[in-house]
Amino acid sequence: MGVHEIEDAALLFVFGYHGAESHPIVARRIVRAKQKGAKIICVDPRRIETARIADMHLQLKGGSNLLLVNALANVILEEGLCDYDFIEKHANGFDEFKEVIKKYTPESVTAQTRVEAADIRKAARMYALSGRSMILYGMGVCQFGQAVDVVKGLANLAIMTGNFGRPSVGIGPVRGQNNVQGACDMGALPNVYPGYQSVTVPEVRAKFEKAWGVKLSDQPGFTLTMVPHQVLHETDPKKQVHAYYIMGEDPAQSDPDLAEVREALEKCDFVVLQDIYMNKTGQYADVILPATGWCEHDAVYSCCDRGFQKARKLVEPSGDVKTDWEIISLVSTAMGYPMSYKNTVEIWNEVIELCPGFAGATDEKIEKNVCVQWPCRSKEDHDKGTSFLHKDGKFAHPDGRAKFFATDWRPPLELENELYPLTLSTVREVGHYSVRTMTGNCRTLRNLEDEPGWIQMNPADCEVLGLAEGELVKVLSKRGYCITRCLPTGRVAKGAVYMTYQWWIGACNELTIGNFDPISKTPEYKYCACKVEKIEDQAWAEKHVREEYELIRGRMGIDMKEGRAA
Amino acid sequence: MNGFVQGDPMLCIGCRTCMIGCVVAHEGLRIFEIDPDGYDFHPRLKVVKTYNVSVPVQCKHCENPACMAVCKSGAISRIDGAVSIDRALCIGCKSCAEACPFGAVEMVTLGGVLNADGSPKATANKCDLCKDVPGGPTCLRVCPTAALRLVTQENMGETIRLKRLGALEAALSQES
Amino acid sequence: MTIKQIQSTCAYCGAGCQIMFTVDIEKNKILEAVPARGRTNDGALCLKGHYGWDYLNDPQILTKRLVKPMIRKGGKGSPLEEVEWPEAIAHVAGRLSEIKAKYGPDAIMGTGSARGSGNEANYVMQKFIRSAVGTNNVDHCARI
Repeated sequence: MGVHEIEDAALLFVFGYHGAESHPIVARRIVRAKQKGAKIICVDPRRIETARIADMHLQLKGGSNLLLVNALANVILEEGLCDYDFIEKHANGFDEFKEVIKKYTPESVTAQTRVEAADIRKAARMYALSGRSMILYGMGVCQFGQAVDVVKGLANLAIMTGNFGRPSVGIGPVRGQNNVQGACDMGALPNVYPGYQSVTVPEVRAKFEKAWGVKLSDQPGFTLTMVPHQVLHETDPKKQVHAYYIMGEDPAQSDPDLAEVREALEKCDFVVLQDIYMNKTGQYADVILPATGWCEHDAVYSCCDRGFQKARKLVEPSGDVKTDWEIISLVSTAMGYPMSYKNTVEIWNEVIELCPGFAGATDEKIEKNVCVQWPCRSKEDHDKGTSFLHKDGKFAHPDGRAKFFATDWRPPLELENELYPLTLSTVREVGHYSVRTMTGNCRTLRNLEDEPGWIQMNPADCEVLGLAEGELVKVLSKRGYCITRCLPTGRVAKGAVYMTYQWWIGACNELTIGNFDPISKTPEYKYCACKVEKIEDQAWAEKHVREEYELIRGRMGIDMKEGRAA
Repeated sequence: MNGFVQGDPMLCIGCRTCMIGCVVAHEGLRIFEIDPDGYDFHPRLKVVKTYNVSVPVQCKHCENPACMAVCKSGAISRIDGAVSIDRALCIGCKSCAEACPFGAVEMVTLGGVLNADGSPKATANKCDLCKDVPGGPTCLRVCPTAALRLVTQENMGETIRLKRLGALEAALSQES
Repeated sequence: MTIKQIQSTCAYCGAGCQIMFTVDIEKNKILEAVPARGRTNDGALCLKGHYGWDYLNDPQILTKRLVKPMIRKGGKGSPLEEVEWPEAIAHVAGRLSEIKAKYGPDAIMGTGSARGSGNEANYVMQKFIRSAVGTNNVDHCARI
């Protein structure tokens, strides 16, 4: 569904999604829904902004998502709150689903989720009976070793209550980065060509082979999160990665278990970084190719609800830089596969010719309508795109029916223990974007939040360690450590701590674990064991942070002249 | 009556766009052209977060301001319906910050201004309702959730009228 | 008069807000960003949308803007040296071709970008990896 539909839902079920930090303008729709009388159920281990205005806040323990989702389904089944007509007409697998779900009674999950059975029952009733319930979910669902199962679990709730295929219902993954939807749309994925067309389907492959004039591989490729393993530990010589061409990303800051990422970048024979600013990955790159940034080139972006929109060139870049597509075209040509596009419109025309779902989203139409949500199949003016999917209960499976899919819960990989008694989850800082090479170079955003960031801790945990607000602390896991500032807040539960991932000195990814969901290969950023140590000599710690910051900035090419200290 | 800017915690999402907007309004767009350390980042409102509340706190522009009453240097005055601090006259005695019952006044040091002994000048800092900014208070213009509003004599009368009616209805419904 | 109003899409999150920029064409500078009425943002922006364009001024705060191709000519650990584009392109193409010849196309991994580059750049990148290199080893930070 579209972002604009959020405010007209009768009930918003917000699961593991902190809109206020990650997408303030989507959070605004949640606020507006509340103003228009919508009920809100917030499921989050923290007292996030949405929880404050919600009718119910289910403050579950991190890592128990599927237990709660299955228990909600259990109540809807047991109390007969299903939309049986919708299920019969539009879904398969209901009986097998019921078999799995029947043991997840609210009482059976209370201890592990820390949510009262009565609250689970109440929430399930509210969700099932509102008439127009919409689920919004975020990284609090996806960044676990068990992620895809939870997404399917949320879909089960929507299918069994008939909350699909109408305005202001459905389930909405609110995607993080500005063009994560677009990178997927364009086939920057190891298993699909542009437009989600599988590399393993012979007819599809034949179409792309014809269009691109070359024989294509029928084997899905590696995911980005597998790279450290493929470089460092892969024993099959045919599966080892020897070259890594990185465009506009900074794995040495953003990926889990940074010590391992650094080792992989050092051992990888050839690393190319194509970017706009020097970053941590650049410290290991063999070649740096300077590109144009946002506002320096024309581009189409896809926003989180499948909307194609234009980003425009506003200023001429300074320096000897080129657009990303020009650079890749030059390398490709030099490797014997010539590419020579004149402009982005020429590329876009090629894209939509190859992707039936995008075929109608012509450059002129995007220009004229500002935003076109795919699917948009016809070039005719009347096809303005699609606000919500599964219209009239038609789903993407070959038979047009939805499929129930129930699985059993499994716990996160690394649980809290005697040595590392706290659980760490990584979260977002509203004023900084991604690894902050852009926003960290914006004056006022830097003023608002800067190194070494914060660790959010329950006041009771702070008290045990004798920590006050603003004090520098050392945070450690089995894999590494970092230094950050203590932020005592009752908004987080005892035993759980939270850090944001863009800081160099407070780099929480030194601590995170390389455990991945088996299907999506998303890292378990939301759960690993850690401990916090008090630093007795605060004066030393402050000096250390200051000096480290200057050292890294110097390495990043900043002229550290006097008076420019951080 | 003086107006003041008030935040609604049911609408605020704690994003602090207002705090940056405040600095940009008072320092001017020139800050995007100068040395990144060449301006002061002193927002005149502060987003406060507790367990159940997120909301910016700023000056209420009191009718009988405690800050103005205790100021010994004549730096605080009422100008066009806004209680304002004249930084040139402020001697940094901190009395106003102590006197304000809302914590809306804080002490800040100014980067580019020095005392006679060469130390950086400290001054009291608080909301001035953007009295010199075209278009009025910037915080409420930039807020993405429209969580801030300017309370004036006129709209305050309307708010109070509605509250009276609300209270009356609540009392009646309890009786019945 | 060289001041222009140009509408564009924000690059800071999946909300896809529409921004109206004021640009001084002659000075090649953005002067201000205010919300436009897009479908998703409906006339509002957050702090990144309002003030996140400042990085274009290269204020030298955190990291250096990359302005010239660079190669570590002395191998791993040696300093990056500035080179001209033809040398950089030839070097990248040469090394990738060597690795492809020695270990096969699946030894090469490429990334798209979920950030400012845009759809066209992602399309060209995956086409390059699939057609010129000959592998499906292309991904981006969707999982991150």
